[in-house]
Amino acid sequence: MGLLSIIRKIKRKEKEMRILMVGLDNSGKTTIVLKINGEDTSVISPTLGFNIKTITYQKYTLNIWDVGGQKTIRSYWRNYFEQTDGLVWVVDSSDLRRLDDCRYELHNLLKEERLSGASLLIFANKQDIQGALSPDEIAKVLNLEAMDNSRHWRIVGCSAYTGDGLLDGFDWLVQDIASRIYMLD
Amino acid sequence: MEEDDHLSKPTTTTDPSDSALQRKHAAMIERLSNLHQSRSTRKPESESNSTSSFLSRFSESKNSIESTLSRIRQTPDPHSNPTLKPELDNVSLSISNLEKLVAENSFSLPSYEVRTCLKTVADLKQIVEQVACDVIPKKKFSFKNKSTKKTTTQNDDLGVRVLDNNSQNVESRDLGFKVLDSPGFRGNENEVLVKEFNNRGSDEEIREFVLSDLRGCEVRLMGNIRALFVNKLIDCKVYVGPVFGSVLIDEAKDCVFMMASHQIRIHQAKMCDFYLRVRSRPIIEDSNGVRFAPYCLKYDGIEKDLEEANLGEETGNWSNVDDFKWLRAVQSPNWSILPENERLGAVDISTRDAKISC
Repeated sequence: MGLLSIIRKIKRKEKEMRILMVGLDNSGKTTIVLKINGEDTSVISPTLGFNIKTITYQKYTLNIWDVGGQKTIRSYWRNYFEQTDGLVWVVDSSDLRRLDDCRYELHNLLKEERLSGASLLIFANKQDIQGALSPDEIAKVLNLEAMDNSRHWRIVGCSAYTGDGLLDGFDWLVQDIASRIYMLD
Repeated sequence: MEEDDHLSKPTTTTDPSDSALQRKHAAMIERLSNLHQSRSTRKPESESNSTSSFLSRFSESKNSIESTLSRIRQTPDPHSNPTLKPELDNVSLSISNLEKLVAENSFSLPSYEVRTCLKTVADLKQIVEQVACDVIPKKKFSFKNKSTKKTTTQNDDLGVRVLDNNSQNVESRDLGFKVLDSPGFRGNENEVLVKEFNNRGSDEEIREFVLSDLRGCEVRLMGNIRALFVNKLIDCKVYVGPVFGSVLIDEAKDCVFMMASHQIRIHQAKMCDFYLRVRSRPIIEDSNGVRFAPYCLKYDGIEKDLEEANLGEETGNWSNVDDFKWLRAVQSPNWSILPENERLGAVDISTRDAKISC
C-alpha cells in the first residue's frame, strides 16, 4: 500500500511535457514562446540553432524546444523528435507565397514515426495582419483533413504580436497531452 | 513492541488481574490476526478484480475491432463501396479510445499488462493502416495529383497577371475560397514604383506588402508597413520606410536595398548591397557577394515614422550578419561590409526624381 502511493506521488510530481515548436522561418516561433512566457518580444533575431524554455503551465512543466526554421537547418529538426509529447506547427498566415512550402514541410514531418503519437497544434499566426488567411483557410491550404485520423490535432488562429489565441492553443495542447499520458484526476 | 511486553508479563508476574490481562491479550491477538488476514486477502483480490475487469473490457473491444476489420477486408469489390471509409474511420476512433483506456488504467495495472496492451494497440493500428491501404489505395495518389495541378495554375497566374498596388481577387487554386492577394508591385519592368502608406491619417491599415518579379525598377515605399515580402528582383533599387514586423527577401540579383525593420531575412541574393537598420541580427542564406552598410534613407516625416516603428535609433546591427551557410567563427566569404568610399550618400525619395547626393 505504501509503495503504490509513493509511486503515484512521484508520477504526479513529474508532470513534464516535451513540446517541439517547428515551422518555416519567419513564422514567429520564438516570438510565441517568449510572449507566452511574458518576456520582451521587441528584439528577436532569427534563430540560429535552438532555444529551450521551461515553463510552468497550469500544473504541468512544459519543456519547450524552439528550433530554427531556416531552410539550411530544417534537416536538423529530426534530432529533436525523440520523446516529443506535443508538436506545435507555426504558420505565417500572411505569407501566401510560401504556403505550398509550408504544406510540404508539414506533411513531411508528419511521416516521421517518432512523432506519430504526438498531439499536433497548428498556430495560424499573424492574424493581426490585415491580409492574413483565417485558420479555416489555412486548414484547407495545408490539407489538414488528409491527415491520418488517429492524430490528435487542432488549428488555432493567433497573433504572437498581441498575444491573442496563444493561451487557447496551449490550453488545448496541454489538456490533450495530459489526457493521453496521465491519469485523469 | 507493546505486544511483546504484554506477552512477557504473564510469565513473570502473579498478579490477581492475571487472567483478565490474559483475556484482553488474547482478544487483541485475535483482532490483529483478523486484521492481518483481511488485509492480505482483500487487497490483492480487489486489485486482481480491477485488473481482470479491465482485461475483459480490453479484449472485448479488441475482438470487436478485429472482427470489423476482417469483415472490411472480406468485402467484395472494396473500391466501389463508399461505406468502407467511414467504417475504417470508426475503427481507428475505437482504437484510440482503447489506447485511452489503457492510459487511464496504467496506474493500477501491472507493468506487464500495460506493455502487452500497448503492443496490442500498436498492432491494431498497423493492421488498420494495412487494410486502409488495401481497400482505399487511391487516397495518397489523389493528394499528389491535386497539388501538382495547383502549382501549374499558380505558374500561369504568375506569367499572365500584372498586378498594380490595389488588392485584387485571385481565384485560388481549387481551394473553395478566394484569396484576397496581398497588395504589392508585381511583374513590372523599368519603372519607378511609388507607394505612400498614409497611416498617419489611418485611412489605410498598416499591413503587409509584396514586391515580386520586378526587373530594372526603382521602388519607393514611404510610411510604416507591417511586413514586406520580396521575391525575384533583378537590377532594382528598393527604398523602404520602416517595417514594423519582418522583411523576407528571396532571390535578388544586382539590387540595392535600403530598409529599416525589426527582422530581416535574406535568401538567395547575389551581388546586392543592403543599407539596413535592424532591431535584431540580419541573416543571409544561400547568398553571395552581398554587402552591408547603415541605413540612410530620407523623406518628409521619416523621423516620425521611424520613431513610431521603434526604429528611431541606429542599433549597429547592420553589420552583425549571420550567414546560415557559414557556421564558423571566421568571417563568411559570402558577405562583407560595404567600403565607405563606395557607399551612397543619403537618398531622399520625397521629391519626384530621387536625388542621390554623393
